[in-house]
Amino acid sequence: MSGQSQRLNVVPTVTMLGVMKARLIGATRGHALLKKKSDALTVQFRQILKKIVSTKESMGDIMKTSSFALTEAKYVAGENIKHIVLENVQNASLKVRSRQENVAGVKLPKFEYFSDGETKNDLTGLARGGQQVQQCRAAYVKAIEVLVELASLQTSFLTLDEAIKTTNRRVNALENVVKPRLENTINYIKGELDELEREDFFRLKKIQGYKKREIERQQLAAKQFAEEQFAEKVSLQKGISINLAHNFLSAAMQKDEDIIF
Amino acid sequence: MYGFEAMTFNVHSGYLEAIVRGYRSGLLTAADYNNLCQCETLDDIKMHLSATEYGPYLQNEPSPLHTTTIVEKCTLKLVDEYKHMLCQATEPLSTFLEYITYGHMIDNVVLIVTGTLHERDVQELLEKCHPLGMFDSIATLAVAQNMRELYRLVLVDTPLAPYFSECITSEDLDDMNIEIMRNTLYKAYLEDFYRFCKKLGGATAEIMSDLLSFEADRRAVNITINSIGTELTREDRKNLYSSFGLLYPYGHEELAACEDIDQVRAVMEKYPPYQSIFSKLSYGESQMLDKAFYEEEVKRLCLSFEQQFHFGVFFAYMRLKEQEIRNLMWISECVAQNQKSRVHDSVVFIF
Repeated sequence: MSGQSQRLNVVPTVTMLGVMKARLIGATRGHALLKKKSDALTVQFRQILKKIVSTKESMGDIMKTSSFALTEAKYVAGENIKHIVLENVQNASLKVRSRQENVAGVKLPKFEYFSDGETKNDLTGLARGGQQVQQCRAAYVKAIEVLVELASLQTSFLTLDEAIKTTNRRVNALENVVKPRLENTINYIKGELDELEREDFFRLKKIQGYKKREIERQQLAAKQFAEEQFAEKVSLQKGISINLAHNFLSAAMQKDEDIIF
Repeated sequence: MYGFEAMTFNVHSGYLEAIVRGYRSGLLTAADYNNLCQCETLDDIKMHLSATEYGPYLQNEPSPLHTTTIVEKCTLKLVDEYKHMLCQATEPLSTFLEYITYGHMIDNVVLIVTGTLHERDVQELLEKCHPLGMFDSIATLAVAQNMRELYRLVLVDTPLAPYFSECITSEDLDDMNIEIMRNTLYKAYLEDFYRFCKKLGGATAEIMSDLLSFEADRRAVNITINSIGTELTREDRKNLYSSFGLLYPYGHEELAACEDIDQVRAVMEKYPPYQSIFSKLSYGESQMLDKAFYEEEVKRLCLSFEQQFHFGVFFAYMRLKEQEIRNLMWISECVAQNQKSRVHDSVVFIF
């Protein structure tokens, strides 16, 4: 991935450094929490998977038994028993409700069935086959139970799968993108700050050097001046101004037009 | 009148008796059933059946075959044979043949009425009716809004009219439970059939009254067992028992008072014919009761073929054919659902 460990474009100031550090701490904590969540979800996932496998096996058996119970009922009560029962039905007496369950922060749907109203079909097959019809009914009710359970398990399975994928994506993003970026930014800011400090330091040192030389020069100048003054005073006392003498000498050093040789 | 039928029977009904005996010889035998039980798939069953009388009906079906298709086609064969016999028959045989189908007619009427009550489509309902029980004005049943109209408009013209007026007043029709209505109608039908056969006299009366008594007693036992633990009162229960048969009237009194299966067994064991059936069951078990009743019925039906010159053979043939279709349905379902081990549980061999 290009720019995998880029850094954020920020102004490298101290406040920014503080902000970045806070963000890094947040990212680390978030990473740890999400990892725990992902582990918990994976554990749930495996449990549900096991349950699904066993429920599916039992469902195969139960459906077989219930179809056979229907065959027995048809044998005794006549082929038309299916139509007779179907035509007599008004509403469904077994219904399914769904509710939400919270598992490690993920909302999983769960289905349960309930009986809504009594069937008036107790007398079906009164003259023949009544028993078989009731047995068939019981077998199919059991089949419905298993089916509803299997439906809940399968929807939870799918939802958990989604949730685990998202969480893992987030964990990986934090681990491989956000944190390195933040760290790089922090390093960059630190580097910039260090460099600024070094520049400052260097400037300071240079200025200190200047100042020191300045002071030395001034001291030297002051000392010379002081010596000259002293010498002048001494010569004045002897009646000659050295300064004047100096002036004459220097003037004499120059060519005078009036003097021919 | 007993004994002189040999002289006059063949004049009107000899041809049809021969036809029916021919049909009877086409019923599947134990060897056929054994072959069918060995089949692995529905296509094997189709192959075996094409060697029997069902061949022409099944050979045009495309695979994959469904168990319901097999049953449908076999029923179609039965309906064809019945219609063939009916259109050749004269009185009183034609009335007799029609009586045989009133049971299915009652089922169809009840089905359409319940369906209409719950606002289902008429065409769908008509498809679900049993073909033997169709009559011309059956589609108009769906038009009626309540029971009184139903009776006035439709049922008055059907042969079922007397059953409705005899035992059900128009108030009852409105709030009676469908099953109770069905069983009351059936009770009236059985009694009517019984009276008709008695009027015919001779061998017909004797054989048919035996078969119908068995039917009535079987229904009484089933009603008792199936209504244990439901809201059917004893009075209602007694009203559903037919007023003839071996159990009438004392057995019915006792049955009406029964509260569980063992009491029923105690009552039934006083009657020798039913004692043998109930001795096959162990205590507290009633699953095998239905199969035991079917076996007993088949035995009696086969016995009726031993005698000639009576109408009982027609009734017996129809019932045996229905049992055969039931057997075929059972075998195909077991094969289709991979439950071969249970196949022999419920197949009743006819020969």
